[in-house]
Amino acid sequence: MSRENIESRNEPVAGEKLIELRVNSQVYVLRVGRGPGELDPAHTLAFTLRETLGLTGTKVSCDKGACGGCTVLREAEAVLSCMLLTIECGGKEITTIEGLKDAKTGALDPLQQSFIDHSAFQCGYCTPGMIMSSKALLTANPSPAEEEIKEALSGNFCRCISQYQVVEAVKAVSGKKG
Amino acid sequence: MKTFDHYDAHSLDEALGLLANRCGKARINAGGTDLLGLLKDGVLPRYPELIVNIKTIPGLGYIEEDGERLRIGALARLCELAGSKLLRERYAVLCEAAGAVAGPQIRNVATVGGNLCQDVRCWYYRYPAHLGGTMECARKGRGPCFAIKGDNRYHAILGGRKCFAVCPSDLAVAFAALGGQMTIVSPRGERKIAVGDFYSPLGNGLADDEIVKEIDVAKAFGPGRQRFLKFTVRKPIDFAIVSVAAVTEEKNGVFANARIAIGGVAPGPFRAEKAEEKLIGKKPSEALAAEAAEAAVEGARPLSKNGWKIEVAKALITRVIGS
Repeated sequence: MSRENIESRNEPVAGEKLIELRVNSQVYVLRVGRGPGELDPAHTLAFTLRETLGLTGTKVSCDKGACGGCTVLREAEAVLSCMLLTIECGGKEITTIEGLKDAKTGALDPLQQSFIDHSAFQCGYCTPGMIMSSKALLTANPSPAEEEIKEALSGNFCRCISQYQVVEAVKAVSGKKG
Repeated sequence: MKTFDHYDAHSLDEALGLLANRCGKARINAGGTDLLGLLKDGVLPRYPELIVNIKTIPGLGYIEEDGERLRIGALARLCELAGSKLLRERYAVLCEAAGAVAGPQIRNVATVGGNLCQDVRCWYYRYPAHLGGTMECARKGRGPCFAIKGDNRYHAILGGRKCFAVCPSDLAVAFAALGGQMTIVSPRGERKIAVGDFYSPLGNGLADDEIVKEIDVAKAFGPGRQRFLKFTVRKPIDFAIVSVAAVTEEKNGVFANARIAIGGVAPGPFRAEKAEEKLIGKKPSEALAAEAAEAAVEGARPLSKNGWKIEVAKALITRVIGS
């Protein structure tokens, strides 16, 4: 590859670009730009979910990828929405805490119900992240051992020490109670 | 985060062209777990005008053995390394190091190339610009190294010069022990560099217009024993205070080969060659492990508050070799 070849390539053309974001099985088409309501290339997925789409169930605590509060699912894998650019999430299926309940009946996911039954939270700020991490684990591994649950939740921090109840809550829906 | 232009590259040539055209004002983004932190805190001396997404380049996420070498594409994710059967069986040290990085959500996104190229975690260098202004330090091209007179409890005890930040990459330590090398592409062609030689006190060896394409490792000698240990303040989502990767082979009851790399103590992974020499031809024992640990940190020159890292390094090496 010669240098001439590379320099003759065109820079990205500034034109209308649309990002098709799939969140909780709904498709949102966002126009890339810097105006109001538009998707700035520098917007993180956490920002877009909360500020543009109004899905405030996803919480942002540290905004540095260190606390797990903003965990969402990308194609069934747990990821940190504060550390992803929305513009790079086009075409991927994103699931947030709002997407766990049954869309028709509104019934909570058994995992959400289990968190309630076990009082697996105190202030509750870390709970959406905890639930999404647990959901990713249970999707990949429906009956995890206690150690696997702890490993899967190792990226989620709770400052109220609710972790013991969280592990119990996840165990209860994993079909491996006790 | 301040705004920037964004482009999805679909080939390495395209990405290289964009980097070359913008003369240092474009940055590539793979997993983004390090870059986004740098951008949010305004750490980089030159804020990029353009972010080039390279995740859209196909065929760079492989982990495969090809004849005599293990080849890992720069876009292979850490979760893929940690879960790879091939690595677990033959390159356990890589598998363990990848699994020790941050937490599950970051490993689902972060890439091996990004892990090797990530910026240092020095708290003066990383000081957020929005909290009273960035700290201009030697690493940013002007100013002193604040760690020398400041709080340097996590800084380098070996090899620091002008800047005393340590290389935060766990995989770099594992690759250094395995003798891995990186393939770097640029408009000038391809070059190879050993992972152990990639780092220097003021930054890594990647020029503005270069991209890491692949990391390869010659087959480890014999059915050796490989171990990786990492000491952190809190267990997950933390960078190593000290980490040790060791690849050893025993024949007739004595060490025939040994390669030990220490992370978190120097600007790059530090090959403990003096410790390796101590081991060769000797029978494994607790006493020998302690002797090797002592040799490994010979020549360490701690700053005012980080002498304790020498003891941590010795303890880790004793555990890795002795167990």
